[in-house]
Amino acid sequence: MYPSALHLVRYGFLNAVADFKATYTWRSWLFGWLGRMFAQVLFFTGLGRVLDQPGAVRYLALGNALMTCVVDTMAVVATTSGERRAGTLSLLVASPADPVWVFVGRSLHWPISGVATASAALFGLGPIFGITWSASQVPLVVLLTALTALGTYCVGLFLAVVVVNVPRLRNVVSNCAYLAMMAFCGVQVPVGFWPRGIQAVVQAVPLTHTLRALRAVSDNRPAADVFGPVVPALLTAGLWLIAAVVTFRWLVAVPARRAGTLDLSY
Amino acid sequence: MSLFLVSLRFQLRLAPRSPGTLQVWATAPLFTAVFLSIAEHAGRTDLTSYAIVAPTLMGQWALALGIAGELITEERSQGTLEAMIATPCRLSVVVVGRICAVSLLGITAMAEAWLVAGLGFGRWIAVPHPFVLGAALLANAAAMAGTASILSSLFVLMPSARIVQNTLNYPLYLLSGVLVPLSTLPGWLRPFGRLVFLSWSADLFRDALDGAAVSGPAARIAVVALLGLSGYVIGALLLARVLRRVRRLGTLTHT
Repeated sequence: MYPSALHLVRYGFLNAVADFKATYTWRSWLFGWLGRMFAQVLFFTGLGRVLDQPGAVRYLALGNALMTCVVDTMAVVATTSGERRAGTLSLLVASPADPVWVFVGRSLHWPISGVATASAALFGLGPIFGITWSASQVPLVVLLTALTALGTYCVGLFLAVVVVNVPRLRNVVSNCAYLAMMAFCGVQVPVGFWPRGIQAVVQAVPLTHTLRALRAVSDNRPAADVFGPVVPALLTAGLWLIAAVVTFRWLVAVPARRAGTLDLSY
Repeated sequence: MSLFLVSLRFQLRLAPRSPGTLQVWATAPLFTAVFLSIAEHAGRTDLTSYAIVAPTLMGQWALALGIAGELITEERSQGTLEAMIATPCRLSVVVVGRICAVSLLGITAMAEAWLVAGLGFGRWIAVPHPFVLGAALLANAAAMAGTASILSSLFVLMPSARIVQNTLNYPLYLLSGVLVPLSTLPGWLRPFGRLVFLSWSADLFRDALDGAAVSGPAARIAVVALLGLSGYVIGALLLARVLRRVRRLGTLTHT
């Protein structure tokens, strides 16, 4: 009997944990990675300090603090294409188990790290810029951060599948993707600043909706403003996951199997 | 000098096809869009030069740091590091020549940023002090190569340079006022920022794109060059020391 999808995700996750432990110690994560991400938040927020625009610093700090979990999570693109570099992609595709579920579990350490990073930035750096949270808001903030990370993970999985045949572009694609989100999804300026075409496109990105919800929590707006964006965030995340599964099965694995080129196009 | 030029030419041939260069070319317009949107949204069109200078320096530094790390790692993985070190040529000159090549190539990020500001936001920035800008760009490229060479020696000892590369960027950008002048940093932090050549380069670039006269350009360019030279000397000494150590221990290919 073949393992179920849930088992495959679990095995993939165990790999992810091992991978994370091989990459970071708690010291290098805390003082290296977290320090770097805090510096990134301060860097972008720094521009707000010369703007002389009321609320600009707070707006930038909140957006960039949540953005840290997107940056962290987009590492899924690199780790997924790492299967090809490691020579294990052919084995995964050849096995009777569905490799897509392996991929889903394989990089789960990034969204988990992302939630920790963004939570530290929101609760640790936020108060410096006037972003304070009441105790009752804390679970909601963590939940929205987790939803951002998982939504971004689905986007990242799709991009990972797309670049699995050109792994040398993995970092280019993941960096461009998160910078595009940073520019257009309401992190630095409201989405309404951009032309209508861009406003329409970013509705497909979970971050756009979760960030809107987080800003609503921060501004103590009514529950409808907070929970309203959660639905499109979940919906778009699900669609990105489906797109990743379909793309891998029918546009990557099947043609590469037929052509026998799964390991040749690196 | 010929070794330096050969190394520079060699890297200039490799660089345009490398993913690192592609990444800088792809991300510079996005960084420009990020910075410009913030300035434009606040109605601060006077900050357009900030949005051009920051992606340039960030792109150049990312390229310099990238090659400083990958140079050693790649030579090691190809099995050519021992041969390089066995030759009578100075490795530090090869390292600086190759980093200098990508730093010079990184200047193209400024052209990209300038085009994004013009085409995307309708802000065509004039260059009122072209000679100051040209001299500052060249001095900055040289200083970048000298400073990044310090890290090359570190990367000889480290199995993976990637984490260090990823960790160093933003703290350095923040400390050296790449995006906004050092005056926005807390007072106690500013002297540290002044020790980094990037802070002098960023100020010079911004001033060269501003209509007002640039004060003391020659002295400031000399400071950039001097800091870069100090970086090169430290890098060369460190590299010689590290190489002596790994030769003695026989761990050149193991670390």
